[in-house]
Amino acid sequence: MNASPSRFRRLAVTLARHAARVLPGAPSSWAQAMRHELDYIADDSAALRWAFGCMLASYKARFVHRPRFSLRAAWRQVATSGALMLLIGLALQEHAGGQTEPPRPAFDETTCDLPGVSPEISPRLRCGTVSVPRNYDRPDAGRFRLAVVVIKSEQQPSWPEPVVYISGGPGQPLTVYAAHQARAPYAPRRDLILVDQRGTGKSEPSLCPDLGSKLLEAALAFAASATEEAFATRQATYLACRDQAIGRGLDLRDFGTRVTAEDLEWVRKALQIERWNVYGESYGTTVAMTLAALHPDTVRTVVLDSIYPPDPVPLWSTIVNDARDAFFASCVRDNVCSTSYPDLAETYRETLARLDQKPLLVTVPPQMRQPDDRVMLTASLFEAVVANLLYYPTAYPNLPRVIQVVHDGEPQGLGQVLGPVLAAQLAAAAIQNRATNAAVECRDRPHYRQDLPAGAHGLDRRQLYGVCARWSDLGPSPLIPVGTRVPILVLAGQFDPVARPASSRHVADLIGSSTRFVEFPLVGHNVRQLSPCGAKIAADFIDHPAQELDTSCTDRAAPIPFLPKRQ
Amino acid sequence: MWRHGYDLSKETALKSGTLYPLLMRLSEQGLLESRWQEPERSGLPPRHVYRLTATGLALARDQELEAVAAERAGALA
Repeated sequence: MNASPSRFRRLAVTLARHAARVLPGAPSSWAQAMRHELDYIADDSAALRWAFGCMLASYKARFVHRPRFSLRAAWRQVATSGALMLLIGLALQEHAGGQTEPPRPAFDETTCDLPGVSPEISPRLRCGTVSVPRNYDRPDAGRFRLAVVVIKSEQQPSWPEPVVYISGGPGQPLTVYAAHQARAPYAPRRDLILVDQRGTGKSEPSLCPDLGSKLLEAALAFAASATEEAFATRQATYLACRDQAIGRGLDLRDFGTRVTAEDLEWVRKALQIERWNVYGESYGTTVAMTLAALHPDTVRTVVLDSIYPPDPVPLWSTIVNDARDAFFASCVRDNVCSTSYPDLAETYRETLARLDQKPLLVTVPPQMRQPDDRVMLTASLFEAVVANLLYYPTAYPNLPRVIQVVHDGEPQGLGQVLGPVLAAQLAAAAIQNRATNAAVECRDRPHYRQDLPAGAHGLDRRQLYGVCARWSDLGPSPLIPVGTRVPILVLAGQFDPVARPASSRHVADLIGSSTRFVEFPLVGHNVRQLSPCGAKIAADFIDHPAQELDTSCTDRAAPIPFLPKRQ
Repeated sequence: MWRHGYDLSKETALKSGTLYPLLMRLSEQGLLESRWQEPERSGLPPRHVYRLTATGLALARDQELEAVAAERAGALA
């Protein structure tokens, strides 16, 4: 009782220091926070009580972080009720702070306006919109309306816990494919949720929808972006779109994987779904991992199909080289292919060298709307064509023939074999919203803030180097759910030109023991769409994530039916 | 609205030993964000401030509404 206030203070400081030492390693800023707060408490005895509490807090944190500690469950119960109280308390203060109340998640049902919907599928579709905050930290910053389609399972009643499918890009529309998705469900007994991510498809905002065609025009007219001039034109095309978007009042910081993941969480609440199964494909895997990291309690399972590798990434051209080499090696092992094309790898190298010397004029179908229906095929454009063909197993039988025809440079063969390939690739490229692609990537990916790196190749010039540093600030990073308890299945294709199977395995290892990894031979990017075996394994996993996976069908992959040399 | 730990403790009547584990937990769950604030005057250390993320806010509102709904249901029964 006779202790002087300064002794109280000294004791308080000692206790706070002890608290900092006790607190487990990772949240060291918390220890500092508690210690610093002490200096703002004027009353010495209050400071001592505060410091004593901090010490208790540190011990609790230490115990809770220790697995299987017997008090853990009991503490969690106490903490949950306390957390609720604190949440509500903080929320009331937010309200008192005069902030606008954010919109509540709600699904506004509309009539469906979708292509290719047959009378059988139509009754299974529910279409509508969900308004999400443009900026989750600023509820007064307005909203974007997102297009949402719910596809009821064919057999009713649906099993609980639907699947949300997250497609690639970023920038690809999704709801427009609802009819196709209804015919190829991920888990046949569950409903399927499709959302056009902000800035894609029918979702707001509409972000320079014509950028894709402008870039394609620039790419084709400038013989595929290989020259410095073409690179500069490409950058300027992007930046004109940026200025236009800002001029329309859009904030380019309102994009990125983190906000896309929050959008999906908002849609989940709007649809009153308690938990769902998350299926991410290509870039969609980035969103799926971030969603699982931020909201693990509402995610039942995750499938990561063809992981879009997280930063830091190698140059895209090096990944494509590996995929192409693996494909050429498969040709060597195949009787038909190796007989018709004895050294495909060498033929390909020769083709590039020839195109470098003398690009070829290729006749293309009129729907490509090229001057005189012709396209100048340069080495760089041809590399891109081959890289794109590696995505799809349906293109594999024809790929050696495409290379041979270009190598031989015979005009009729070029028109007949390469023309349709170019047309198909153009159609596919035109669907993606390139502006949304840049808006998301420039927020997510530090490596695009550089100019073209050393060793960059024609393929790398088509990416966002030199654009992002002038597009927007870097945003919060996408997340990997390291150590999560959510069951995760990773699917990888042997010839994937976007993600090496080894890099997908690396991500699977990073996430940890809840993850299973399956590699599919003779498959490219997006395993499930391309391989019935992949579709079956994914569906089994979603329905029974705790069961042993039967992956035996991966050993029975049918050989590629290579087309022999054109006579 | 950013809040200090000590103020929160007074306003919610939670002692620091209860408050900080809750803050850490909310933060881990992505419901709370924190940052360092510059000292209010020289000689003092920077101070940690907290606020709910949009998700935290939405969850709090949900819980609040559920509590109100439960009360009403109780009153009607």
